[in-house]
Amino acid sequence: MADINAAFKAKMVQRKWAAMGVLFLAAVIFPMAPGVESWMASEATLIIMYIMAAQGVSILTGYTGLVTVGHGGFLAVGAYASALSTKYLGTDLITGMFVGAAMSAFVGWALGLVFLRLSGAFMAIGTLGFAFFVGTVVNNVPIFEGREGISLPKNHVIGFEIGDIGFYYTALAALGVTTLFVSLLVRSGVGRAFMALRDSEKAAEASGVNRVFYRTLAFSLSAAVTGVAGVLFAHYVNYVSSEVFADIWYSVDFLVATVVGGSAVLLGPFVGGLFVAFLPTFIELFVDQPGDLAFIIKGGALIFVLIVAPAGVVVGLVQLFRWLRGKLGGDTQ
Amino acid sequence: MTSHLRCDEVTVRFGGVVACNKISLDVEEGKIIGLIGPNGAGKTTLFNVLSRFQDCDDGHVYYRDQQIDAKNTHDMINLGMARTFQNINLFGEQTTLENILIGAHHLIGNPYSNMLWLPSARRNERELTDRAVEIAEMLNLGDELDNPVKNLPYGHQKRVEMARALAAKPEMILLDEPVAGCNDEETAELKEIVKRINSELGITIFLVEHDMAMVMTVCDYICVINFGANLAQGTPSEIQSNRDVIKAYLGEDDE
Ligand SMILES: Nc1ncnc2c1ncn2[C@@H]1O[C@H](COP(=O)(O)OP(=O)(O)OP(=O)(O)O)[C@@H](O)[C@H]1O
Ligand SMILES: [Mg+2]
Repeated sequence: MADINAAFKAKMVQRKWAAMGVLFLAAVIFPMAPGVESWMASEATLIIMYIMAAQGVSILTGYTGLVTVGHGGFLAVGAYASALSTKYLGTDLITGMFVGAAMSAFVGWALGLVFLRLSGAFMAIGTLGFAFFVGTVVNNVPIFEGREGISLPKNHVIGFEIGDIGFYYTALAALGVTTLFVSLLVRSGVGRAFMALRDSEKAAEASGVNRVFYRTLAFSLSAAVTGVAGVLFAHYVNYVSSEVFADIWYSVDFLVATVVGGSAVLLGPFVGGLFVAFLPTFIELFVDQPGDLAFIIKGGALIFVLIVAPAGVVVGLVQLFRWLRGKLGGDTQ
Repeated sequence: MTSHLRCDEVTVRFGGVVACNKISLDVEEGKIIGLIGPNGAGKTTLFNVLSRFQDCDDGHVYYRDQQIDAKNTHDMINLGMARTFQNINLFGEQTTLENILIGAHHLIGNPYSNMLWLPSARRNERELTDRAVEIAEMLNLGDELDNPVKNLPYGHQKRVEMARALAAKPEMILLDEPVAGCNDEETAELKEIVKRINSELGITIFLVEHDMAMVMTVCDYICVINFGANLAQGTPSEIQSNRDVIKAYLGEDDE
């Protein structure tokens, strides 16, 4: 029983990496494929940014069990950190990503300390408050230039100017790095500590898990990943303004993406990010006046997933697949 | 005799309830010590005090003569104390192996190199995993390593809790009702395991248990508390013939 299980698990892990490899390979050749227009590469870049932001949410919500409705705040921290550093220090996109990640990690750590006693719905409300707070700050503190916004120069990577396609590949590479990071993290002893805190704080502490340290660490790593997505958001349009980054809907979108895709599996943010980012464009292909249709569908999908497959679409599909295989008797198990 | 864990007039109040009332006792190094008493006597509360889940209002606790009244809960394992819970407290969605590995958390080394799987962390993880498998086999859990613990029968789950405590390489384990809710077969198995942990690994055991047959056969020494206060202490045979203990358990007719 255990051996079969282990073998099955090993097979699933292999499949997961194979799927991931195919996905990245497809993403690499995508812009060169015939019939692909430049708006499609831009759309794909947007999807990449959503996936990355959702990966950040998954560290905190999926693996550590703290629901966040405020990661739009970290998106803004990353975006503005890089924008200011680009404007005043003339840093390039790569440096900007490090600056954004570091700044966001720091703010995440501080927020983790402030919210040390919160969990459940209170954590959700607290993080939502954080997103509002960030929105107010960028709206009113002069250096952030409020609704006027900050215009950024053309993007540079190690001295070379990059266009839309170059930006797409930079974003894809960054997603490769965050994906590798998250997958290493969640299989490590630190990832185990996060999940232990999620499943039973008491048992975790009895096992020596320092609740304060690991909670704040989860907050800061989660914030860093979403912060890098924020850097990309800023440089994608070479412009940051409070009009965009004070928008609370980013926070909701990222949470929906994470929960719908599956918050505690590596592929979850990919599926969820694709869904949330691509949905409005997809709808426009068929409907002339979509209005709020995208919101309605997202909300419906969230409710549907929470009822039918609470662990997310990816886990739900794997279970369905396993069940079907059992039904059809095509497996030795 | 060397004292491994000692409490000195420990008092805990919950509002008007005095859960522990000046409890003093001594757990001798390398022995199996039992803590018994009727329901609500304050056994779990005392365990919570000893493992730093609960502050005491009065009194002191000493681990190897070091006062631990102000220690962090998560630091107890570094001192060498592990514990299990009265109501099973496992990470249900996670596998047996993962549950045991969490027990070894304080041995993961630097968390930053651990989370990036740097070479030293990789070696360390392999060692921890090997040891976790060994412990699982010692507790007859070798076949369940990849099974989520929520799928395991009750007796198995109790053993996973013990395995998790063992993974920390403790010098002392507090067991809160290790065989409660287990059938005879499971109880016999757990009893053997407790004895082996003590004799083969030299780990001091302090256990709370209502199963008197088990307590009387595995314990070297027994402390009895009633209504949060010391009632009696002695060897199993002394306790069995102690009039106060019999009275406390059978209830007093005279008033
Ligand atoms: N957190 C708490 N708040 C208030 N009262 C408590 C709390 N924990 C325990 N008590 C009370 O303290 C007393 C001792 O409880 P405790 O759980 O320590 O007993 P016990 O000896 O472990 O009993 P059992 O054998 O049933 O497990 C009881 O009267 C209980 O109701
Ligand atoms: Mg109890």
